[in-house]
Amino acid sequence: MKISLNTIKELVDFDLPPIEELIEKINMQLGGVEEVIDLSQKYKGIVVVKIVHCTPVPDSDHLSLTKIDDGGAVQGIDRDENGLVQVVCGAPNVRSGMMAVWIPPGHVVPSTVGDKEPFVIGSKQLRGMMSNGMLASSRELGFGDSHEGILEIEASELSDSQIEIQPGTNFAEAYKLNDYIIDIENKMFTHRPDCFGVLGVAREIAGILGQKFSDPDWYWMLPQFNSAEGISLDVFNETPDNVQRFMAVALKDVKVCQSPLMLQAQLVRLGGKPINNIVDITNYTMLLTGQPTHAYDYDKLRGGSLGVRMTRPGEKVELLNGKTIELHEADIVVVDGEGVVGLGGIMGGRNSEVSEQTSNVVIEVAHFDMYAIRRSSMRHGLFTDASSRFTKGQSKLQTDRVMNYLLQSIQDIAGGEQASAVFDIHKTDTTYETQSLSGPMKIESQFINQRLGMNFDNHQIGKILQNVHFNCNVDDGDSAISVTAPFWRTDIEIPEDIVEEVGRLYGFHHLPHELPYRSITPAPINQKHQFKQKLRSVLSLAGANEVLTYSFVHRNIMEKSHQNVEDAYQLSNALSPDLHYMRQTVLPSLLDKVHMNEKAGYDRFALFEIGKGHQKKLGNDIDGVPKELEFISLVMANGSYYDVKSTLEFLAEKLNISLEYHVVENNNIFESKRSAQIVCAGKTLGTIGEIGAAVRHGFKLPNLTSGFEIDLDLLFEATRLGTKARYRSLSKFPHIERDVTFKVDESLPYAHLINVVHDTLQSTNLNFEIGPGTIFQADSSSSKNVTLHVRLTSLDKTLTSDEANEVIAKVTEHAQSVVGATAV
Amino acid sequence: MTAAHNDIRDILLSRIEKSDNPHEVMRAPELKSLVTKLQGLPPEDRSEAGRSLNALKQELLQAIKNREVHIINESVEPIDITAPWDINGLRPQPLPVAQGTIHPISQEIDIMSNILQRMGFQIFESREIDDQYHMFESLNFPDGHPARDDYDTFLTVEKDGQGNPFIAPAHTSTMQNRILKSLKSHLENDLPIAAVAIDRVFRNEDLDPRHEHTFYQHEGLYVGKGVHAGMLVATLKTFLESYYGKKLNVRVNPFYFPFTEPSFEFSLSCPFCSSGCSICSQTQWIELLGCGMIHPRVLNMAGIDSDIYTGFAWGGGVDRLVMMKNGIEDVRHFHSAKLDFLRQFK
Repeated sequence: MKISLNTIKELVDFDLPPIEELIEKINMQLGGVEEVIDLSQKYKGIVVVKIVHCTPVPDSDHLSLTKIDDGGAVQGIDRDENGLVQVVCGAPNVRSGMMAVWIPPGHVVPSTVGDKEPFVIGSKQLRGMMSNGMLASSRELGFGDSHEGILEIEASELSDSQIEIQPGTNFAEAYKLNDYIIDIENKMFTHRPDCFGVLGVAREIAGILGQKFSDPDWYWMLPQFNSAEGISLDVFNETPDNVQRFMAVALKDVKVCQSPLMLQAQLVRLGGKPINNIVDITNYTMLLTGQPTHAYDYDKLRGGSLGVRMTRPGEKVELLNGKTIELHEADIVVVDGEGVVGLGGIMGGRNSEVSEQTSNVVIEVAHFDMYAIRRSSMRHGLFTDASSRFTKGQSKLQTDRVMNYLLQSIQDIAGGEQASAVFDIHKTDTTYETQSLSGPMKIESQFINQRLGMNFDNHQIGKILQNVHFNCNVDDGDSAISVTAPFWRTDIEIPEDIVEEVGRLYGFHHLPHELPYRSITPAPINQKHQFKQKLRSVLSLAGANEVLTYSFVHRNIMEKSHQNVEDAYQLSNALSPDLHYMRQTVLPSLLDKVHMNEKAGYDRFALFEIGKGHQKKLGNDIDGVPKELEFISLVMANGSYYDVKSTLEFLAEKLNISLEYHVVENNNIFESKRSAQIVCAGKTLGTIGEIGAAVRHGFKLPNLTSGFEIDLDLLFEATRLGTKARYRSLSKFPHIERDVTFKVDESLPYAHLINVVHDTLQSTNLNFEIGPGTIFQADSSSSKNVTLHVRLTSLDKTLTSDEANEVIAKVTEHAQSVVGATAV
Repeated sequence: MTAAHNDIRDILLSRIEKSDNPHEVMRAPELKSLVTKLQGLPPEDRSEAGRSLNALKQELLQAIKNREVHIINESVEPIDITAPWDINGLRPQPLPVAQGTIHPISQEIDIMSNILQRMGFQIFESREIDDQYHMFESLNFPDGHPARDDYDTFLTVEKDGQGNPFIAPAHTSTMQNRILKSLKSHLENDLPIAAVAIDRVFRNEDLDPRHEHTFYQHEGLYVGKGVHAGMLVATLKTFLESYYGKKLNVRVNPFYFPFTEPSFEFSLSCPFCSSGCSICSQTQWIELLGCGMIHPRVLNMAGIDSDIYTGFAWGGGVDRLVMMKNGIEDVRHFHSAKLDFLRQFK
């Protein structure tokens, strides 16, 4: 929202603080100031001049040689004996005696301010004649598109101004362009439609400065409209739910032309663009009040009627921007006797546009439903000054005031006279009687103080609110204040809204900084969160690198991983195909990141991620939202099954759980013959293995790439159950070590042998440890030799060698009988 | 398609099934004969014959691919999945401990949650697919409210029980309603609700050095009796002073969020300089997060009586804190999985 400081000054009846202080105040109490533009810099040095002589340049069909009077305002410039400056001008409308705007040499053309290379006017020879600076057109001054001729100053236009226009008058000063434009973040005003008009912002500024704002009478007072005749106008509203208030009136004999320069300057200061006087007045009214308005050429309205309704099937409209759009049945349209003349609340139609030929106009001021406008605006991708205001929900109680102002302004500026009744179609409700959208609200000062930590009394609260025209009844007999919001406030619904109002106008920077007082009861720990931190730290100790990859995947990542694409949740509004699906598991995302790291020069590395996955087949939680899986997944480039298994075993040790590895069939990502189900206490936690050939090929993985994918919740659960006894008493006695080699069939799983050895030793009352030694198989042999390193300790005596041998003998005997192992 | 064509197809497919080098089959004379035959056909028959020849080639290529995968699979030696290493193999070589790293965002979340935990906040995580009730309704964004547009929320094709698309949460505030409900019993026992949700969120934005569609947020909540806006400011100040390990100035500007009233934008004096630097754009202030007093409707929707209890909430990014701290120039590095990036964060 761009506001002009000079306009604010016109609206308040007290002196504003210096600009820096004001900006600081706005920042702290109204909304973030995004930019402050010193407009006087843009128009620096530009003066009003009188063209004293004007003669055609010989040999040219369009150039004129002028001598201009700048009242001697510009220093250091060549002048003739009469003190006049020579300028060559190509405009068709240049003539002696006219007042114009001159950009002296060395100054920047305003329309190029902000360009990469602003254009600085100089003095140069044109057709052998020196031309100093330039006489400016509207376009060069940044006043719109017209540059058919130079801008002519009508000195009479400023008759009521304090500044007298004469040669040498500073152009910016005369037209109040010595201004600051303050751009306040729009987001701040999402719920404040009134602040989309500079009048509303001025009121807030008064409020935060502790001053009472005086609204202009035309806004404050309920208008009384006169009836008039002369033009037959029929006005109707067929969709009162979507258009809560619809007002229109006809004027005859208006003269459409360029706006007076002062009005153009006002528009420019508020970020508008002058077009013609009628359009400029409607736009200025909107910039002032936040209420969009529109003018139609009456003679183009078929059947002399204007109304609103919903779109009928097959309707189209050509808009003012030249585009023709197919309308949707949920679009509100403005229509005449035969068809659509505008997309309601968003943009007018080409077929009813006001032009220089227009002499009769109909003006419309309406209240459109914010939700309907928002949907239409999004549907057609049309975001206009009007739609951005209607979508904030303008107050329907200001419609008549704005209509009154607009009607008067047009008559003042464009002539003409009211030629019909002022139509006002709305359903009556009590808000029109009370002139407030929220009835009186009783609020205790204590309610406010408790929420702000302040200590206001009723009178202080009353004064703060009254500055911005809340009606406050501070009755000493009643402890509560009765507060009624003014008619333009749409955002005051609950007492907390009053708390905000009081706190903000008073200044949130005055809030007392005080920590909540809390009991020393410790906050509960989120154990799963801590568990994840532990996983990260253990895996990083194992030399792996944690990555974060997107929760979204391209379908080809699932296809390459042999996942069923149909089972993935799909995003409907993602632009890039990389974001079309929510991933089902994490490992495919990791596989996708191996190749690029390998190309970057990394050879052997492991990536891991803790992340979520979703699969449609799992359905919803009790909460009605899709069930979420969480995974801890890892991939190792140039790592075998055993490399990854040893990493997982390291993790299991740190988590104090025992894992088993079971044969797995039919898996998608892993090579079946070199992968396993990870099982803990009878529960399958996930899968580990070498990545299968087709998957490796798809992701361009090294030939030996392995990984695991584990359900994090199951792993967490397993950890909480704890499957391993943690501590065994230390023995005072020395241990004995033995290497035992078993010859077993090549097909015997290592774990079976270990289990027998383990169970046997378990039955002995000895402390023991079993460590792997070697696994050897000769070529062409069908058996393998497994050497285990066994360490035995007794808790109550020193083991003799014989006793140890006896234990080992028992172990080998069992191994023989249970798994057919022969001690070697 | 002719019978001869079919015969050739069957011959070639069975040859692929048996071949050790199945790609050779594409050079089979039978296939060449079909091509030659095609060239001899009258022009009007050629296009159909050409189509069936192409279809045959595609079918053969697919069969070759399957066969190749099969050959590789056949050549794979099974292993003893229960063993610690391979037969005749060596003990697996662990990766160097020094090269392991934790992602900088996880590290930061750890640091932040530790401080907040010490301050008495319970840590929560959020979801990656949620519903519009938790994203909007429960936070006082009515259906069709323009404030919804500010969140550029990803929607799914799949619908919830009400027929609305699910969403990928655009803020961790999706957890507010759940947290308030689950900790409501605290209030009954005269303890405050103090919780922080830290997790991944998503916004439908185009990527550039300053914009990511995937990022991290922390969302704090504090509800109790007599909780006021000054406590919000003091709590955030205390948290940030502990986080940066120094005294800071803070300020709040009014802002608008549907789920807080009043709402603020919270700024702190730049912790990295004393006279203006590139991090604070020479302003000496950093706009850090949004916050406010929890809207009474949000409390009521969680079954908490807003006349008795009041509370504050804040929400802010994690990524930006990491970027500022480390001078990271491009937000896209975080999800790039580049080891060049990750291994700098020991």
